[in-house]
Amino acid sequence: MKIFRVNMTDLTAQIEDVPAEWQGLGGRALTSAVVAKEVEPTCHPLGKKNKLVFAPGLLTGSQAPNSGRLSVGAKSPLTGGIKESNAGGTASQKLARMGVKALIIEGQPEGDNFYGIHIDKDGIKIEKEADLVGKGNYEVIQRLVEKYSNQIGVITIGQAGESKLTAANISVKDPDGNIRSAGRGGLGAVMGSKRVKYITIDDNGAAPVQIVDSDKFKDAAKVFAKGLLEHPVTGQGLPTYGTNVLVNILNEAGGLPTQNFKTGRFEGANKISGETMHDVIESRKGKTSHGCHAGCVIKCSQIYNDKDGNYLTSGFEYETIWGFGADCCIDDLDIIAQADRICDDIGIDSIETAVTVGVAMEGGVIPFGDGPGLLKLLGEIKEGTYLGRILGNGAGFTGKALGVTRVPVVKNQGIPAYDPRAVKGVGLTYATSPMGADHTAGYSVATNILKVGGDVNPLGKEGNVELSRNLQIATAAVDSTGLCLFVAFCILDNAEAFQAIIDMLNAEYGISLTADDVTELGKFVLRTEREFNKAAGFTDKDDRLPEFFSDECPPHNTTWDFTDEEIDEVFNF
Amino acid sequence: MKLEIRLFAGLKCNNKGLSCYGENEFCLEVPDGLTIRELHHMLNLQSSLPLVNLINGLAQADDQVLKDTDRVGIFPPVGGG
Repeated sequence: MKIFRVNMTDLTAQIEDVPAEWQGLGGRALTSAVVAKEVEPTCHPLGKKNKLVFAPGLLTGSQAPNSGRLSVGAKSPLTGGIKESNAGGTASQKLARMGVKALIIEGQPEGDNFYGIHIDKDGIKIEKEADLVGKGNYEVIQRLVEKYSNQIGVITIGQAGESKLTAANISVKDPDGNIRSAGRGGLGAVMGSKRVKYITIDDNGAAPVQIVDSDKFKDAAKVFAKGLLEHPVTGQGLPTYGTNVLVNILNEAGGLPTQNFKTGRFEGANKISGETMHDVIESRKGKTSHGCHAGCVIKCSQIYNDKDGNYLTSGFEYETIWGFGADCCIDDLDIIAQADRICDDIGIDSIETAVTVGVAMEGGVIPFGDGPGLLKLLGEIKEGTYLGRILGNGAGFTGKALGVTRVPVVKNQGIPAYDPRAVKGVGLTYATSPMGADHTAGYSVATNILKVGGDVNPLGKEGNVELSRNLQIATAAVDSTGLCLFVAFCILDNAEAFQAIIDMLNAEYGISLTADDVTELGKFVLRTEREFNKAAGFTDKDDRLPEFFSDECPPHNTTWDFTDEEIDEVFNF
Repeated sequence: MKLEIRLFAGLKCNNKGLSCYGENEFCLEVPDGLTIRELHHMLNLQSSLPLVNLINGLAQADDQVLKDTDRVGIFPPVGGG
């Protein structure tokens, strides 16, 4: 495999050998290693010194189930620290088949032009793009499919990325031509700062990914697929109700942040729940189950149609529905689906934006519960009005603009869908992850609430430091393989399936990794990221939750009560 | 005693002898001293898998004895995030 490097300053590209130190890395391990090595930690994230890195995982492009995830890395304009943002869609598998170990975009062109980057068997082309500038992601993908073919891989930014808003995301075409997102951390703004509107990947004529021992690989892949299909969460729960099944459950557990994190239960929860959504989708002839990339056996996604049975949105996730729903006190699933559609189209992180709107409601911009008002605010972001630009720069920025003190962010990134006072393990992850507040970085909700991989009391302290630490290490490793993080629900309970991942890695590369090596990989990733953040100016004091979490949160009336010393133990490894 | 019951992720009361048959959110009069396991049987919950019980928002084991006015949530293994 090779490193594909695009220099946007002089609009040149080259294909390089992979340095020895990066050869055993993929996905998040690789994006973070590249950023740590090549990006000055104190640089301006939207300036010419930042670099945007795309990397398929170590198993991506192979026949390993659920291995098509894409890692995108850079210095984040939202947090000011290192960022890896992860997406489904078809681009990652195509990059891997094209032999792209990583695509590094660096530099910055003079002038106002935007460009498209095309990768095919003949190499890398950089072309000026005018027609698609100012267009939303749905139209961009459709027009690029018309230009090339339906089989093309597309990575694109919408208006938010063009405007360099720090909540802008990067969109990736899914198998149906719809949208997946590398959502968090404002990496769409970095792509916009490089003046890259889209990247297209044509893997026509590419050879299959090389597997050193294909028989062993196939055997391990079968064991892994069996494990995923037989586990109740990955085999039944996720395919049937999607991630949104969590609305009712987090509500019941008293950990569903409501009215900008004022309480932990939402009266309208059932109206926006996964169970209700499932029935709505069926009645409108959408799809309750859908994979975001070829080879996914979990299929947690869905196609959500409007009242007339026309496609409205897909990849309609719990965190988005929680945010525009409970956090904004909106109990209308169709309004929330429209909000999700707009976020996908303009290319802005639906989690950050939902948290931001909650803060804006607290600041009096519109009342809590105002669904039409929510859609109007998203229109302001699309239009790039001054209010839209404030909102598009995230919850922290908006809170400052409006004088709001209850602003749920860590390292300036919006806190997602689980109140840390009622789900304390994930609170430690929010506090300490080098990514800023990110539930996926160490999903303690699994063990705190869902009782997967054990049972740790969500309201107490005992066991939560170790839980968050171990899950952050494991997650950093999984994110480096290209596997969907949801495989963790299975491997936390099924040692055979976990071993199958190691067996697939060993068979693909002809190596002999052990479980300890995988753990060390996760630790290496976290240490690399934390050192970058330290060099960028972060200290332990950045690993703290906002002050308002010391206020009681109904219904349990618990507070965030970890001491600084206890929080700092999470990264003591 | 009276319980406030919510069943999630496709679980429903499957006891035809109860007025809440087919429902997933209801109040129910039950004998004092009923355990969660006995409630599962009473509702004839159809799950081959272990269920998670949230009693007043807190996870409890199947042998926990229920109290009057308890808010009971029950769900099969699910995930998300």
